[in-house]
Amino acid sequence: MTETNIIQLQGIEKRFGKFVAVSDLSLDLREGEFFSLLGPSGCGKTTALRMIAGFQEPTEGKVLIDGQDMEGMPANKRPTNMVFQSYAIFPHLNVGNNVAYGLRNRGISKSEIDTRVKEALEMVELGGLEARGANELSGGQRQRVALARALVMRPKVLLLDEPLSALDKKLREQMQFEMRHLQQSLGITFVMVTHDQYEAMTMSDRIGVMFDGRLVQVDTPQTLYAKPGSREVASFIGEMNFLPAEVTAETGDTFSISTPGFGAMKIEANPNVARHGRHISVGIRPEQLEIARHKPDGYDGTVQGVVRDVAFYGENVHYHVGVEGLDKPIAASVPNYFHTVDHAPGDKVWLGVQAASVIDLGEDKQTS
Amino acid sequence: MTRPSGLVMYAIFYLAFLYLPVLLLPLFSFNDGTIVAFPIKGWTLEWYRQLGGQDTLLQALVNSLFVGFVSAVMATSMGLFAARAYVRYRFRGQEASEALVMLPLVIPGIIVASSMLVLFISMGLKPSLTAVMLGHTFLALPFSVSIMKSAFDDFDVSLEEAAYDLGSGVVETFRRVTLPIVAPGIVSSLLVTFTVSFDEFVLAFFLSGNQPTLPVYIWSQIRFPAKLPNTLALGSLLLLASVLLLVVAEYFRRRSTKSTL
Ligand SMILES: Nc1ncnc2c1ncn2[C@@H]1O[C@H](COP(=O)(O)OP(=O)(O)OP(=O)(O)O)[C@@H](O)[C@H]1O
Ligand SMILES: [Mg+2]
Repeated sequence: MTETNIIQLQGIEKRFGKFVAVSDLSLDLREGEFFSLLGPSGCGKTTALRMIAGFQEPTEGKVLIDGQDMEGMPANKRPTNMVFQSYAIFPHLNVGNNVAYGLRNRGISKSEIDTRVKEALEMVELGGLEARGANELSGGQRQRVALARALVMRPKVLLLDEPLSALDKKLREQMQFEMRHLQQSLGITFVMVTHDQYEAMTMSDRIGVMFDGRLVQVDTPQTLYAKPGSREVASFIGEMNFLPAEVTAETGDTFSISTPGFGAMKIEANPNVARHGRHISVGIRPEQLEIARHKPDGYDGTVQGVVRDVAFYGENVHYHVGVEGLDKPIAASVPNYFHTVDHAPGDKVWLGVQAASVIDLGEDKQTS
Repeated sequence: MTRPSGLVMYAIFYLAFLYLPVLLLPLFSFNDGTIVAFPIKGWTLEWYRQLGGQDTLLQALVNSLFVGFVSAVMATSMGLFAARAYVRYRFRGQEASEALVMLPLVIPGIIVASSMLVLFISMGLKPSLTAVMLGHTFLALPFSVSIMKSAFDDFDVSLEEAAYDLGSGVVETFRRVTLPIVAPGIVSSLLVTFTVSFDEFVLAFFLSGNQPTLPVYIWSQIRFPAKLPNTLALGSLLLLASVLLLVVAEYFRRRSTKSTL
């Protein structure tokens, strides 16, 4: 193991009675990275985070922080700090005393505590608010106090449980950037739990996707989006059209496939997919499709269909196009370049796609 | 305006029936005459003034304050820990244990009193203020537990976890976070349990021996018609004190539920 793995989870499992909340999770986190655990509600993200923090002991497996086995090490002795979903701001203390709370456990001189609290508050842009009461803070300010209170401890790893879920959309987007900048300038490893794919994508260096207590894929946001390892991941992150496909020939890393509608194409094999068979599933992102009145030129696959629905989102327009031979309509999304909506329900249109945009998702469980 | 419905009339009648007799107590305590009957003969503060000079009464008052204070502290500190456990953890026998703690609210006082008397004597503890304190702690515990449970209900668990995460041990966390946050609940519980003990008669009557508490003293004085107006004055003061204490307690209880939001 290299010393740059700040956290190593080795086959950890957590059971509550018979219920398995986290199963056989192995993961290495690199020093200084922003890592997100992403998954739907109840998949075990918080439980995984709490095992790193020391609030819960794994039933099975090991947690190593900075190479040291954490077994039996209570939360108050671990080199991690946590930002709680509810922020857990101490209601009886003012902002300054909230931030100073942890430093006072360390026998640090009063003057140094004051300087460090001041620095920490400036870092989160709350400079000078030391005397503000805990109950006089807005949601965004509470979040910043929680961040400052944890970061002032200079943890090796900062753990964040859905840190932005209590904020409104505008503030959430602003905090995404601020937290990302903070993390980069401090160089501290951040491990964030979220069920919001956009949050995970915009902030993280790498994302681990969890379903039902299992970690199913760990990759950069781009790879996760372009080469999801399974249908589950593909549909959880962004939107995806799924099509059945038959593999007609296989040469090295390329497949010749034939799909209903788009016909025959040569696509690249997805290295993240475990098993292939004769029948596979392929995915196409809605924004990778061209939609036009006449058959578009220069595309590897084209198909004709009828517009079923149109949804105007402002920044783009979504069309659902019914295609013969497919039971579900195909979604196509077009950027709103000219403030026009070019097709109406009932219109006959053509869809075009490049073979490079067709994602191999492995064995199709529905048809094989 | 709609006409008062039958239900409203019933409620008014009910409240009058319940509280008017209580109001007679202060009324007659200002009556210038020893016979408790209408019409009022005239107004006087004499009965209140005379209270000051009675040594046995003052001793009974001191006894009551002492017993009330000790029982309140004991019941509240037990209630604090019990309530935290009930709210925070799920454990085997939890329901049985909670029901057991609440039992004194429903067992007739006379039964508790006589069985405690037998128990204490068989343990070699003579009727005394100590015996009354133990009895009152038992009686006050359900009040303390329910007040402290509501204080912990509104207490976000992650506050304790945050303290722990920031390096505090279990004791530090309790002292620096848990205790200050539930402090209003503690004050409220102290006041209520004190009042419970201060007003209690049956147990004190059985267990106090020759060290009467105030209610026991009052009972002993009621037999002397000449002393009746004094007793009324004393009773009125007790009533006033209890109401004040409970109002203050309610104020703190509400503050405790607000402070953690
Ligand atoms: N202390 C516990 N006792 C029993 N079951 C638990 C406990 N903690 C969590 N669970 C269960 O484990 C599963 C995973 O919980 P966890 O809180 O880790 O989910 P999550 O992914 O964080 O979900 P969310 O997005 O809703 O916060 C859930 O089904 C939950 O009910
Ligand atoms: Mg969670």
